[in-house]
This record gives sequence, structure tokens and C-alpha cells, in this order.
Amino acid sequence: MLELILEAVDLEYSYPDGTIASRKVNLQVRKGEKLAILGSNGAGKSTLFMQFNGIYRPSSGSIKFQGQDISYKKKPLIELRKKVGIVFQDPDSQLFSASVWQDISFGPLNLGLSEEVVTERVKQAMSDTETTDLEDKPTHLLSYGQKKRVSIAGVLAMEPEVIIFDEPTAGMDPRHSQEFMQLLEKLSIEGKTIILSTHDVDLAYSWSDRLAIMYRGEIIAHGVPGELFMCPEIVERADLTMPWLIEMHSELVKKGWLPPSTPLPKTKEDLFQNIPAKTICKAYRTNSSMEVSHDFTFRRNSCGA
Amino acid sequence: MIAIDSYAYTNNLKTVHPAEKSFFAIITMVVCLTSPTAITPLIVLAIMAGGIVFMAGISARVFVKLMLVPLSFLLISVLTIAFSVSTNPSGFWLAQTVNGLTFGIRYPDLITAVNLFLRSLGAVSCLYFLALTTPLTELITVLHKLKVPFIITELMVLIYRFIFVFMETATMIRRAQFSRSGYVSLKSSFRSLSRLSYALLGKVFVKSQDLYNAMAARCYTGEIKVLTKKRPVSLRNYLIIIGLEIPLIVLNFWR
Repeated sequence: MLELILEAVDLEYSYPDGTIASRKVNLQVRKGEKLAILGSNGAGKSTLFMQFNGIYRPSSGSIKFQGQDISYKKKPLIELRKKVGIVFQDPDSQLFSASVWQDISFGPLNLGLSEEVVTERVKQAMSDTETTDLEDKPTHLLSYGQKKRVSIAGVLAMEPEVIIFDEPTAGMDPRHSQEFMQLLEKLSIEGKTIILSTHDVDLAYSWSDRLAIMYRGEIIAHGVPGELFMCPEIVERADLTMPWLIEMHSELVKKGWLPPSTPLPKTKEDLFQNIPAKTICKAYRTNSSMEVSHDFTFRRNSCGA
Repeated sequence: MIAIDSYAYTNNLKTVHPAEKSFFAIITMVVCLTSPTAITPLIVLAIMAGGIVFMAGISARVFVKLMLVPLSFLLISVLTIAFSVSTNPSGFWLAQTVNGLTFGIRYPDLITAVNLFLRSLGAVSCLYFLALTTPLTELITVLHKLKVPFIITELMVLIYRFIFVFMETATMIRRAQFSRSGYVSLKSSFRSLSRLSYALLGKVFVKSQDLYNAMAARCYTGEIKVLTKKRPVSLRNYLIIIGLEIPLIVLNFWR
């Protein structure tokens, strides 16, 4: 698990108009991990991603793929892009064809695969992203979320080792973003390395193995999400907020509902499990915890009245 | 135009092989344009109307409305052919002479005009049949098979896609301008329109760069390779088409 797959070393990048988008970025991506990059708008996440597969060339510093500096010659670049795929933030700039089927087949065909294999991969990617029924629709008649799923399918069909998602859940409805997170889980189990950028702190906290926080082109902190969110000043400096799970947890600890030794909850379910059932209520009834708590509040209210 | 485009994706003939539909439309159009009489165009018009309304399941109202679009251009051009002005009053079929100048219609001119009118209308109906039943993406694959150069088919793919992207952007900008009273007076309308064009032009450059980056990220090397949806080839359809065309061709050579 500790094998590095991608690495940014002292990366510097500035746009032609002088905007500095990456300042001395150092980031290590381990094989098979789930890395979230958290940052507010304009923090330089997308620019960093474009350097990860050689679309942008850093002004200084370098990108290493599997320990080797990437080359910007035509052939090695294509080899790199086979292994590192990016799903762009705006599906309208990624979808070039009006046909869903044609667009998804573009990437895998560029890998030089046979038509049968490509057809198979396109079908698989479409079923993974639930776009099978959009096959015959033109891309301009799709909704934003549907376009987004098609653009994800277009990259999945290439089966890269590292998949970078730039703000994947922005513009998706709750059901589809939940399904998308399940798809990520599946890809992760298959051994893919996944990098995801977002400004959704709750999502980043619950999903990631490791987290990097970017602010104005710099990585100001990186580490395990549980530790990182223990420093409110970093979170505040990056124009972000605390995940609700952590806030809830610390509030419960502060008010004595949870012992300070309770481990940080990673998911909503963890938190609910940590919260003990009210023991005082056992005097009234010892059924399920839900009923007990209801019963308890009801009696208290009636006493007060 | 947008309406035609969406019919192409929803009509009942959408699963028919695009080559069959193109073959049918083009052959019928050629037959119609080369016909010396008025009968062939009328038959062609009837076949295409039947094809669009009954086979493709597009409402007759839509078809009639679409046929009315070229009618105004057609009438103007046909009238100029039918009417003549001359100092010699002989040979006119229907005429009025004023101050030695004769205005009117000569009989052969009238026949030419009517034939031309019907031939154009018939040819237009053939093109409508193709446009209403076949998505452009599939037409492009037919062109590709016909060995039309890559550069043309690829440009068609990109232009077609981006017509809609930019139209959507323009609609959004316009809506935002409207909501801020951008078109209340003539002066502000001109100003808003110029700003819209300017903003759109800027977007064109940004989007084209974004598109290139996104394609490069998927290993684009200068040639757009895509897989096309396989449609079943039906021998029956080809036989029907040939069965329809032969009588029409014979009719053209009858005299």
C-alpha cells in the first residue's frame, strides 16, 4: 500500500497572465489509496490535476509516475494518459460528440483496442454509470447530471490505474451522488487509485484515506482526515468548514454524552453507534432504543406541563 | 432547426440503417430533379409525406409547417420565371399591354415555372425526410464510409456538438440580460446584443482550449476515432426502395 504511484515534487505553475496556480506543491499519491484534495474555488486543484497527466507542463519542479519523472514527448505522454485518467469538472467541455455511444468509445479506441473489446468496455462503463438508457439520446438533450455521468463513463471505459475526478458530485442530485460514491468504492476495491477534488468537507472526510488541503496554489496540510480536522485553524485558513460529524462528535464529548476516549466517527452510522442508549429510561421500558427515547421525552414533556 | 433535430432522435425510423435512409432520400431527390414532367414530383411529394407522417410518425402539422418554410422563397423565384415584360405583344398567353409594353405570362414559361416549383418542393421533401429521420451523428458515419476526408467529418462532429453548447450559453446570457432589463429600449438592446456577442466570442476560445485539453487527456493524437452504433442492414428495405424508384425512373423516360 505504501508504493507511490504519482508524486508532485516542488511543482510550480503559473498561467500566461501571471496568476500563480501552483506554489511549491509536494504531494505523494500511494497506489490504491483514496485521496481527497480539498480546497475552495480557485485553490489550484484543477491546475494540479492537469499537471498530473501532462496536459500542463510545470514551470519548475516535476511530476513522477511510478518513481520516474514524466516525459513530455508524444509517445510517453500517451502512455501516461492511458494510466492516469481525468474526469473534467465541466462535462460540456469533455463531451465532444453529440452521440453518447461515440463519445464513450473515443478513449478506449485511442488505446488501440479492437472493436469488440471497446464495445464490451463501453457497455460496462455505461452500466456502471447508469447511462445505458441514454445511449440513443444526443448529448445536448441530456441534463447536467446525465452529461456528468456520461463523461465519467468516457474515462472509466479506458480503465486507467489512477482516476482523477475534478468536483465529481457538483451538480448531481443526492441519489446519483450517493450511487457515484458507491461506484468509487467499487473501483477502489478493484485496486484503482482514486484522486478526487471537492469542497464538500463532509464527503472528503468520510470517503478519503488521506486528505490534502489546498489554499491559493499551496498544499497547506495533508494527512489522515481524522487528524487534519483536529486543527480548526487550518480548516479556517483554507476557507473551509468542519465536517458535521466531527462537530457533532466534539459537542457530544464536550457535554459529557460521550467519553473523551471515543474514536472519531468516520460515517454517520459510526456516530449513531457511538451514541449510547439512554440508561435512565430503562426504568420505564426496555424495548428498542428508538422507542425508549421517544417515550422518555414524552414523559418529561408531560411532567413539565 | 432544434425541433427537426429532436425529431431525428425520436422518430419511428430511428433504428433503420442510416445508409438506407440516405440512399432512399438521395436517389428519390435525383429522380425528382431530373423529371421532365410534373407528375413525378407530385408522386415524390406524396411518397415523402407518407414516409414522414405514417412511417416516421411525425405529425402532419409539423410536416406542413416545415414545407411552408421554403414556399415563400420558391414563390418569388417562380413568379419571376413565369412573368415576362416585352415590347412584342405576340406569343403571350395571358397579358396586359400598357403604353406599348406587354406584361404577362407566356404559356411555355408557365409550364417551366410550375415544373420547377414542384420539382423543388419534391426535392425539399426528400431532404426533410432525411433530416427528420436520421440523426446527424449517423449521417456523418455514412459520409465517413463514403470516404469523405477525415477533416470534414471531424469538423462536422465538433461543429454539430458545439452549435448546441454555444446556443445554450447564448440563451443563458440573454436570459440573464433580460432579467436585468437588458432589452428595454433600442439603445440598450444594441448594447446588450454586442455584449452577448463579445462574451460568446470569448467563451469560444476558452471552450475550444478546454475541449482540446479534455481530448488530449483521453489520448487524442489528431484523429477522432469513435465507434458507431451498428444498425441492422435490411435487404427488404433496399428492395422496397428499388421497387419504388424503378417506376419513377421509367415514368421520367416515358415520352
